[in-house]
Amino acid sequence: MTISRRSVLGAGLAGPLLASPFLTRPASAQRAAGIIRYGLSAFPPNLQPWVSTGASAGTVKMLINRSLVSYDGKGELRGELAESWSRDAEGAWVFKLRKGCVFHNGEPVTADDVKWSIEQIAGEKSTAYMRTQFQLIERVEIPDPQTVRLITKEPLVTLPSWFANYNTFIIWRKSTPNEPIGAGPFRLVGQERGTSLELAAFDKFYKPGIPKAKGIKFVVYADENLRNAALISGDVDMIEYVPWQSMATVQADPRLKLDTQEGPFMDVLFNGTKPPFNDPRVRRAVAHAVKRDDIVKVAFFGRGKPLEGLPIVEGTPWYDKDLAHGWNYDPARAKALLTEAGFANGFQTTILATAQFGMHKDTAEIVQQYLAAIGIQAELQLPDWSTRVSRGTRGQYDMAIHGVSSDNNDPDGLTVVLDTSLSPTHGRSFKVDAPRTIAALARGRAEFDQAKRIEIYKEMQRAALEEVPLVGLAWREQGYGMDKGVMGFVNQPGALSTSSGNMLEETYFG
Amino acid sequence: MSAGWLGRRLFLTLAMAWIVATIVFLALHMVPGDPAELLLSTSGAMPDPATVQELREKLGLDQPLMVQYGRFLAGLARGDLGTSLVDDYPVIQEIALRLPRTLELILAGTLIALVVGVPAGVYAAVHRGGAFDRVASWITALLLAVPVFVVGTLLVLLFAQTLRLMPAGGFTPFAQDPGQHLKLLALPAIAIAKGLAAVLFRMTRAATLDALAHDYVRTARAKGLSPRRTLVVHVLRNALNPVVTVLGLQMGTLLGGTVLVEYVFNWPGLSTPLLRAVEGRDYPMVVGIILTISVLFLLINLLVELLHAAIDPRVQHG
Repeated sequence: MTISRRSVLGAGLAGPLLASPFLTRPASAQRAAGIIRYGLSAFPPNLQPWVSTGASAGTVKMLINRSLVSYDGKGELRGELAESWSRDAEGAWVFKLRKGCVFHNGEPVTADDVKWSIEQIAGEKSTAYMRTQFQLIERVEIPDPQTVRLITKEPLVTLPSWFANYNTFIIWRKSTPNEPIGAGPFRLVGQERGTSLELAAFDKFYKPGIPKAKGIKFVVYADENLRNAALISGDVDMIEYVPWQSMATVQADPRLKLDTQEGPFMDVLFNGTKPPFNDPRVRRAVAHAVKRDDIVKVAFFGRGKPLEGLPIVEGTPWYDKDLAHGWNYDPARAKALLTEAGFANGFQTTILATAQFGMHKDTAEIVQQYLAAIGIQAELQLPDWSTRVSRGTRGQYDMAIHGVSSDNNDPDGLTVVLDTSLSPTHGRSFKVDAPRTIAALARGRAEFDQAKRIEIYKEMQRAALEEVPLVGLAWREQGYGMDKGVMGFVNQPGALSTSSGNMLEETYFG
Repeated sequence: MSAGWLGRRLFLTLAMAWIVATIVFLALHMVPGDPAELLLSTSGAMPDPATVQELREKLGLDQPLMVQYGRFLAGLARGDLGTSLVDDYPVIQEIALRLPRTLELILAGTLIALVVGVPAGVYAAVHRGGAFDRVASWITALLLAVPVFVVGTLLVLLFAQTLRLMPAGGFTPFAQDPGQHLKLLALPAIAIAKGLAAVLFRMTRAATLDALAHDYVRTARAKGLSPRRTLVVHVLRNALNPVVTVLGLQMGTLLGGTVLVEYVFNWPGLSTPLLRAVEGRDYPMVVGIILTISVLFLLINLLVELLHAAIDPRVQHG
């Protein structure tokens, strides 16, 4: 071998020359074949139909499985395996099954499968997300093969919506635990572990013309910036969780479009077992001390909205303009409340958040600054997310910052964040006393008259504004970015945004 | 090389692996975080504590720590690293799937670094003080200073987002689509190669300059050998020895350096599951992967020692 100027230059050129056959971007064969390429934010930890393993897993699960009902693009319940549902004279919920529904193995969907699935979810050894709720079903009756009757231990107005959750699918009753067989519009036909999943349209799906796409290829991009780059470069046709800082870029790109909803929200949680936050006046002082606009601007690049009350979506019957601003920014009032509670000179405390998610850390820093302005000196504690969860559940904190979404857009969906009498979890205040709020939630759950429900939930909001089981801070936008040629996809409103994967059955290339 | 010396070295390597496994196992269990609760809390879900407890029992996490440790050691003795707490997938299979991808990335990066760094170093040394030497030295300083994730992100911005010549990241198995596989490998390999190329450039340049100053080079020139033959036969043969040593050491370091590159380019090597497993407190997965990386590191060290011993017998008695 000889080394010369020519050989050095030759070596330098060799790489690009070798790679040149690959540098041209072939037209997307997958797109031509009607296969949607979707940038998923996380590889599903598993696809168990009833165990909660996150929204990304939920997106895939919704497409390969099906339940009795689902949400449409407007967030309204629509029939799936059930074509109708109602309460009978005895107060039981009756679901009439749709004819012609089959599982992926060709077996018909029967009332026995529905009963078996409900019993698995509610079982003593179950690890299902909806286990606690489903244990409120006293028994399941099958008057005929196409009808299922659910007798509940107490009146439950929102029971049908349980079946729209992406952890409550109807599975063929003879499935093995490791191979649950569902009845969704797509079949799982392949996966590259940790990298991608491939779905193909199920040709015996019960809705005519659905799914509209021939298949979906989910490609996992855990890094939000890379996911966005993949959309911009055309590697994928659509992505979930467009990062807030990139939303403007996606909107400005003539080839792309952005669909956002204000669904999830940020809030402050309290430890109610010790002073000073066992006093509702101190919690209210915190609620009035923080200027929410700054959180929206800094943590979410302006992609959100201040939340000065309970997280009730504007435009729903439960929304009340005055109550929605019950915790308006008013530092003078905050100081007065502190004085009234015996903390005229403020106090020292801690804020638990996590450094693992920028939005939690940024929100915590802004809250810290505004609390300092009314005399509350708060030390930030920013462990990793795992530690944050662990300490939250065990009540090892004074104040905590959290980001969450309610279960659905009905105020009963807020039970999970407001009912502090439930067992402690990291996303709920720890043993904060809020009896009137909790009682109103229970009344709303048992009331079937819509007008009365509206009044009950307004009363619940008034009680919560005083008892402060949490402090709302900001709504944050949840965005899907996609090629303009992608049609039929709708980001579902409010808290249902994370359930929008369901709409992929109606998505196609225009 | 005596059998006793080799035996001692092997025993030490095994003992080190056991110590690493034990430290990682105990440290992980001591930091806060419950795998069952974390799994059921994905995407902000708030699981019922009874459900969490049920899952803890299913996963055997309710057992005393020493029982779990004993079970882990017994498995290890059988070559069984256990299964993931998240999806019950055998840890050893996850490693078998992903380790080759990480090694492929390191190998591709090393090849690029060699192809770029060594010839450039030789050329710069031969033309010491010339324009190429000055520019290349400046560039290597820049390459060494800029963090790998910055380079990675810039590569994505330029080649994927702006020029749209290359995919932003991801992975396609070679058997499925060799062209796409190589395309996806190119940018992360370049990103990982940049630091090593800079190091190799500097080492090669310095070693070549050193060799060029030796008497035997002057003699070779004096006896009428062509400059090309002098360079190849007399200079490079001697200059590349320290370069090879540095290359061996750096390849071990690259094993740890792939974490950021794999993340930035979505390359599904060993780093992604390690990161996810630490976040989710997937104990068997974390211990299994760290143990694998440590053993590889130890084996590389052992190999280097064996090579040294083969070259210089005094090492055995040192």
